[in-house]
Amino acid sequence: MSHAADLAPTDWVVVAQAQDMAVKRPVVPVEAFGQRLVLFRDNDGELGLIGRHCPHRGADLCFGRREDNGLRCPFHGWHFDRTGQCTEQPAEPADSTMFKTIRLPSFPVIEAGGAIYAWFGDGAPPPLPATAASDA
Amino acid sequence: MISQKLNDQITRIGPDTPAGAVHRMYWQPAALVDELTDDEPRLPVNLLGERLVLLRQGEGYILATRQSTPDEPPAHHPARDDIRVVEGGPVYPVVEKKGVFFAYLGTGEPPAFPNFDCFRAPDSHVFAFKGLWECNWLQALEIGIDPSHASFLHRFLEDEDPADSYGKQFRDKAAHTDMPMTQLLREYPRPDLEVEETDYGLKITALRHMAHDLTHVRVTNQIFPSAICIPMSREMIITQWHVPVDDETCYWFTMFTSFRQPVNKELMRAQRLKEHRLPDYAPLKNRTNAYHFDPDEQETQTYTGMGPDINVHDQWAVEGLGAIQDRTREHLGRGDAAIVRYRLMLRRAIKALETGQPEKLPMQDRALTPQIIGPLSNDAIGDTGNWVAASKQMDTERRAGCPWDATV
Repeated sequence: MSHAADLAPTDWVVVAQAQDMAVKRPVVPVEAFGQRLVLFRDNDGELGLIGRHCPHRGADLCFGRREDNGLRCPFHGWHFDRTGQCTEQPAEPADSTMFKTIRLPSFPVIEAGGAIYAWFGDGAPPPLPATAASDA
Repeated sequence: MISQKLNDQITRIGPDTPAGAVHRMYWQPAALVDELTDDEPRLPVNLLGERLVLLRQGEGYILATRQSTPDEPPAHHPARDDIRVVEGGPVYPVVEKKGVFFAYLGTGEPPAFPNFDCFRAPDSHVFAFKGLWECNWLQALEIGIDPSHASFLHRFLEDEDPADSYGKQFRDKAAHTDMPMTQLLREYPRPDLEVEETDYGLKITALRHMAHDLTHVRVTNQIFPSAICIPMSREMIITQWHVPVDDETCYWFTMFTSFRQPVNKELMRAQRLKEHRLPDYAPLKNRTNAYHFDPDEQETQTYTGMGPDINVHDQWAVEGLGAIQDRTREHLGRGDAAIVRYRLMLRRAIKALETGQPEKLPMQDRALTPQIIGPLSNDAIGDTGNWVAASKQMDTERRAGCPWDATV
């Protein structure tokens, strides 16, 4: 569990170490700026940092199934990609398009210098901190 | 999504709360007869935000108020000799039904008991158990009136032999076919739902349309205010209350009712004691040990990676929603039709009590309530055009073979 600074976001913050994600099932909880999030790596190898609780009823996506290039909630199978977009609601009627309107909060993440950084501010993120860039 | 104010109104159950007043209009499971250790018990009971103790009185039992401190854990279970009764505190009536002590925490005359199968079957055909869940009672109830979750949360990636299914949910064959229920749930994940209000609560029908113009019909029920009645296997049904301990903790109390053969109570008890600790019936797999989550199992065997016990899957799902689910952030779909309908019933009951019309709540008529029987609670497969009759016929056949009067 990472507890990033609770200060206002003015810079990239470390939310996990790269080694945390170098495991068979790279899915870890993150808390930062009052948000409960889940960091995961999808089948493309890309990182996603999205809301931790399924927008349906609130199930904990840290126990989600890492499949179909995203994270699937074990409660009713809602599936989310690394941007937080819901891509499937397989228990809803086949003609339902509700999933298109469902999106979890998500934050940009970058792996550099053995750490995983996230940007929680508004607008375009600043360059990575020099320490991270020099290690990268 | 609902407002925080409404979420508070429908979830909080202490004395002098609107939903607490609704619960206090009904008999509540308070303890298992199995919990008694001697003839003069002082058994702690934590119910509806009150700290109580089960005591003998004459030939029967009562619940008295016991002394407590504000820092006690929700399911605190003090030793017999440490329990002190609050003199002059509230005392509530208790009746025993098929292995469960029910208590009435309301004022005035308690309602009658309906003649549900779990109450009219003989002792030999009913087994009762309970377990602690660390969350609000309403989210515990809501998973029980949500038929579509079974296709995901309880998904088994491989089917076991239904012959090994005794005493386990969803492990039998589907209706009269050779298809394991686990396969049916996996292959048909989008049930159509029909929800109708009844004199006891809700009848919930989940229709899974299969190949060859066949439909699987699963009928489950909400029993107002906090129970469900659902099929478990072809032989057994489950009647399960989600009883509030306090706002953030509840017990499930289940009465397993067998139609034909007596319940194998020793096996049922051993299966469940292996998963719980005494004396508080807290599950051994829980939040503190990540429910024994195994990522390899999640990849190859079960959807949750938490073992084959569906109770643990449900517990993970409802405890993961938070102590009291934040319904200001939810997004309900068509699969949540029974949940939506139930909340309307609960709000209507709250309104009725606030306007001095308690008789408007379900099962308050002492003459009519004992006439409520059943309810029909089963799995059936029939022709898609004729599923209503198929459901009734298969239930009637099962009931006709009973050694006790299970007619509906």
